[in-house]
Amino acid sequence: MPLTSFGSILTFAEEFEIQDLAFYSEAVKSTESDEQTALIESFIKEGKKLIAIVQRTRRENVTEMILEPIQDFVRAPFCTQENECIGMTGPDILKAAKNLEQRSIDYYNTAAIKIKALPEVAVALKLLAKKHTARLNKVNTI
Amino acid sequence: MSLPVLKNYINNEWVDAQSTVTGDVWNPATGKKIAVVPYGNTADVDLAVAAAKKAFPAWRKTPPLSRARYLFRLKDAFEENFEEIAQTLTTEQGKAIDEARGEVRRMIENVEHATGVTTLMTGYTLEDIATGIDCYGHRQPMGVFAAIVPYNFPAMVAWWFLPYAIVAGNTYVVKPSEQVPMTQTKIMEILDEIGFPEGVVNMVHGSKDVVNGILDHPDVEGVSFVGSTPTAQYIYKRCGETGKRVQALGGAKNVVAIMPTANLDGGMPSLVASFFGCSGQRCLAGSILAPVGDKTEDIIEKFVEAAKQIKVGDGIDQATGMGPVGSAAQKDKVMAYIEKGIEEGATLLLDGRDIQVDGYPDGFFVGPTIFDNVTPDMTIAKEEIFGPVVSIVRCKDLEAVIELVNTRDFANATSIYTGSGSDARKFKYEVIPSMVGVNIGIAAPMSFFPFGGAGNSMFGDVKGHGQEIFQFFTDTKVVIERWF
Repeated sequence: MPLTSFGSILTFAEEFEIQDLAFYSEAVKSTESDEQTALIESFIKEGKKLIAIVQRTRRENVTEMILEPIQDFVRAPFCTQENECIGMTGPDILKAAKNLEQRSIDYYNTAAIKIKALPEVAVALKLLAKKHTARLNKVNTI
Repeated sequence: MSLPVLKNYINNEWVDAQSTVTGDVWNPATGKKIAVVPYGNTADVDLAVAAAKKAFPAWRKTPPLSRARYLFRLKDAFEENFEEIAQTLTTEQGKAIDEARGEVRRMIENVEHATGVTTLMTGYTLEDIATGIDCYGHRQPMGVFAAIVPYNFPAMVAWWFLPYAIVAGNTYVVKPSEQVPMTQTKIMEILDEIGFPEGVVNMVHGSKDVVNGILDHPDVEGVSFVGSTPTAQYIYKRCGETGKRVQALGGAKNVVAIMPTANLDGGMPSLVASFFGCSGQRCLAGSILAPVGDKTEDIIEKFVEAAKQIKVGDGIDQATGMGPVGSAAQKDKVMAYIEKGIEEGATLLLDGRDIQVDGYPDGFFVGPTIFDNVTPDMTIAKEEIFGPVVSIVRCKDLEAVIELVNTRDFANATSIYTGSGSDARKFKYEVIPSMVGVNIGIAAPMSFFPFGGAGNSMFGDVKGHGQEIFQFFTDTKVVIERWF
């Protein structure tokens, strides 16, 4: 599905942040060490803030003047299969977390370039990419 | 399934209308009825104005900063309910969800701006206007004000006025468009949670009887109106007869000039949004495209190609670029203008009449429509169509463009796309419309600048929002003082 507008970019981000939060909320039940549990719990806590950032960015930056179409940007490369964690082991969860966080980093960095005409939004998207990079680094340390 | 029946909001209560006459509210995308709205009468207006009048003495004595604090809380409540307002708006009005979000944003910006009352409402003073005599002017609230607002911006337009009126100490009555009453109802539900004193803000649903009830009511000090020019003229005249303050914003026929030096790669998206955003149903929409010079063919080709790419559909779908027009009647009106354009000899480059939207056979859709070789005297170059129909009037030079702009019956907004500062200066200096865009397709003033046109696009002295709006909602009482 094409991401042709400011709203569609932020709405897709909202969708996957909500899905990721749901994934982590379920995955925390299957972690296999205190370290993993602490990490996933921190993701759950932070996930609500990430959703709030996306929603606030959409609310505060959408105006009639910027309803200009975005070119050559689609959802497909950023859609993941990591939304079901039944039967996952600890390593499976970490692998899925890496995929999710890498997807978010890639998406936000790409979106920030696509929407560079709105500097404030681009800054917010880069901030989100930075937060997900920090999360990915944490996953990689386990 | 029975449809919800809307109620009036009077004295902080949700009440049934005194009138038993009702109308239907439609979803323009599905073509289905979604609610029933009462068409109130003068008895409903009397109740609302009485509540507002009763609330006024205590509200005007409430310190301005305390009044502003209600707006701070209201802003937060609007942010929390942002998506719900936007989705209600799209459901009953049809515009694309991003456009609805943009409208809600603009509504909130007016609330934010109005919270500056402690600076914006101050008067002025001069000592020693004569020996030992000082003079100062206070801005005082006046009483009950009212807004009569249109269907194309169901959330925002009432809030070009309301927050300034009440933060200045007045009390208020809103009449939403009977075509899109659900959005303002949702907004009043949110406002109700804030706990304004009883009667400070009231809402009466209805049509012409409510309008006339407001215009004729002796306790209404002033009226703000946005809508068509004929109605704006009617409101202006009738308020004059009844001694009310009035600001009546009317229609538009906006010309967008494209000079040969324009950067079209950068400008095309905003250009297309100017003409087809909100399905052309806004007073700032581009209506006439006026290309100039040797790049005209290239400009037209790119513009038509960009228009073809617009995805028409249900505004609630995030992928939709352009929603339906607001009503079946509006669709008929737009269709009639397209027929008129063909009849008068314009060249139809893109025909939006037969557009089909999968899954929405009954929606009020009109696709992007573009006429070329339109002359300034054709009907489609003179009258406000209020739909996604573009008239291309080819102009030989900038002088011809300015002539075109200044000979329309309306003078709301106009834009120029150019790479020449000299052309831009000449254009903005000589055109009559009051809102001018330079490489901006929609010259929409934000809440801290005034909104309104000239000529037949605006009747009254003070425009919507901006700093000047406090003049409309206050009387400057001048005190000349001497002590012995």
